[in-house]
Amino acid sequence: MPNIHIIKGEFKERLELQLAPGIRAGFPSPAEDYLHDSLDFNHDLIRNPEATFYGRVEGDSMIEAGICDGDLAVIDRSVEPQDGDIVVAFINEEFTIKYLDLTHRSEGYIELRPANRRFKPIRINAEDDFEVWGVVVWTIKQWKR
Amino acid sequence: MYGIIDCDNCYVSCERVFRPDLKDKPVIVLSNNDGCVVARSNEAKKMGIKAGVPYYQLAEKFPGQKIAVFSSNYELYGELTGRVVSIIRKEAPAYFRYSIDECFVYFQDVEQVDLKQWGENLHKRIKRSVGMPVSIGLAPTKTLAKMASHFAKRHSGYRHCCLIDNDEKRIKALKLYPIDDVWGIGRRYAARLKSLGVETAYDFASHKLSWVQATFRNIVIERTWRELNGEDCVPNEELARKKSICTSRSFNGMITDLEGLRTHVSNYAARCAEKLRQEGSVASIVSVFLYTNPFREDLPQYTSFMETRLSVPTDSTIEIVKAAYDVLQQLYREGYHYKKAGVIVMGIGPKSPIQLDLFDYNAEQFQKMKRLDAVIDRINKVNGTETIVLGSQQYTRRDGKGKANVFANAIKHDYRSKNPTTRWSDIIVLK
Repeated sequence: MPNIHIIKGEFKERLELQLAPGIRAGFPSPAEDYLHDSLDFNHDLIRNPEATFYGRVEGDSMIEAGICDGDLAVIDRSVEPQDGDIVVAFINEEFTIKYLDLTHRSEGYIELRPANRRFKPIRINAEDDFEVWGVVVWTIKQWKR
Repeated sequence: MYGIIDCDNCYVSCERVFRPDLKDKPVIVLSNNDGCVVARSNEAKKMGIKAGVPYYQLAEKFPGQKIAVFSSNYELYGELTGRVVSIIRKEAPAYFRYSIDECFVYFQDVEQVDLKQWGENLHKRIKRSVGMPVSIGLAPTKTLAKMASHFAKRHSGYRHCCLIDNDEKRIKALKLYPIDDVWGIGRRYAARLKSLGVETAYDFASHKLSWVQATFRNIVIERTWRELNGEDCVPNEELARKKSICTSRSFNGMITDLEGLRTHVSNYAARCAEKLRQEGSVASIVSVFLYTNPFREDLPQYTSFMETRLSVPTDSTIEIVKAAYDVLQQLYREGYHYKKAGVIVMGIGPKSPIQLDLFDYNAEQFQKMKRLDAVIDRINKVNGTETIVLGSQQYTRRDGKGKANVFANAIKHDYRSKNPTTRWSDIIVLK
């Protein structure tokens, strides 16, 4: 039996930013001051609410990175993309999720690398009009519905 | 020092966030019900597409040309511009949202800040985080700031931020600025000024104040003259007039409790709804502001402004009053003596023709509607909100079969984009 520590998480408040119409931060609770130590996914998964967007993964191009069809990706547009980051880019009329590979930048191109041997890396030349749309900071998997 | 942050071609830019392929391509957004063009990308402007052109005429006027067309999607625009305002709130000491795509900021102490750098950084942050390009104008008055933002928008050399912080810059800008474009000068006054030989903002500003007063006898024109000459005199609420509707009052005495404020704010909200109905518009953002009395230096001071988005643009008294109270509850802090409050509705667009049919303005009908609104408000006050909703809130469905329970189902929006920031079912797909 593996040891499992159960950590009790509590959501002290909703995000200030509206996720859906009609849902909004409520009146601050008088108990709020005592809740500082609770874990809060809204705070820890979403560092920059104004820059955070969500995406649904389709297909298995990133399966060897543990990212599967149906997973939810938390995308932060304000993070500066770095070599090795998992990023979202818009190519050929669709959003794609891949590793950003900057190793060949000095040779005039970069690559978007899949995590699946059946897929080929996408090569982007320096002269191409290319922009990383956002950096994937978390992926979330649902195990039970 | 004031600043204005203005979203460039706001609705088009919102659409482009999730369609990066449309960068550099002509894009237009249509009004509610796909009636006419309300927003254009720079490329569409260059093609000669004018604002307000009926959509059906485009195919005739621009045969065989590729133009990306979107139905207006206020849910998306409200959410993304809310993010922009949220960033501004974090970066500026004081802010005031003026319309769905414009926000003023105010710096009391400018000695410590490199404002030009501040503006350039803010643009970068908003562009990077939200994907929205903005133009920023900074100047000693709101009218000058507005002018500066136009320079920032038109000339890339400013790197999205134009600062007017001395007389030399101010005069140079005034000389280059046509009188028609001056904020607060309507078309009629511009024509009149031109007939008097005034072509640029500079021509106007260099006239004597006595000449302005004698010629126009108009407080707004006089204030514009003062502002162009560097005198700050347009009050915040005044700003809200053009692209939004504002109702505000100073209280007779001061108010400390939430319930007392609620009565006032509800009345202002109801008045805004009434004004919307009068001009046949609907609003998608409801904001409330609260001031304490700045002249009572012996009392603690609190000034606040906050807003909420409506999922569906509306002119309904009930909905706007309810939204305003929601905001008030968030704004309100105990322990202050409030002197003034106001309600501003913005994100204003035309009401769909379907809804117009329901009202079909004849004076008698309109009076009846107003009386009905008053009665409903009274009943709902006693029995809780939404005890009764207006029959007119049930829209005829687009297919004509029965009533739609939400406005969105009643209007035509053949080219509406998804709502990736407000609906889980619409989030982007990553391949």
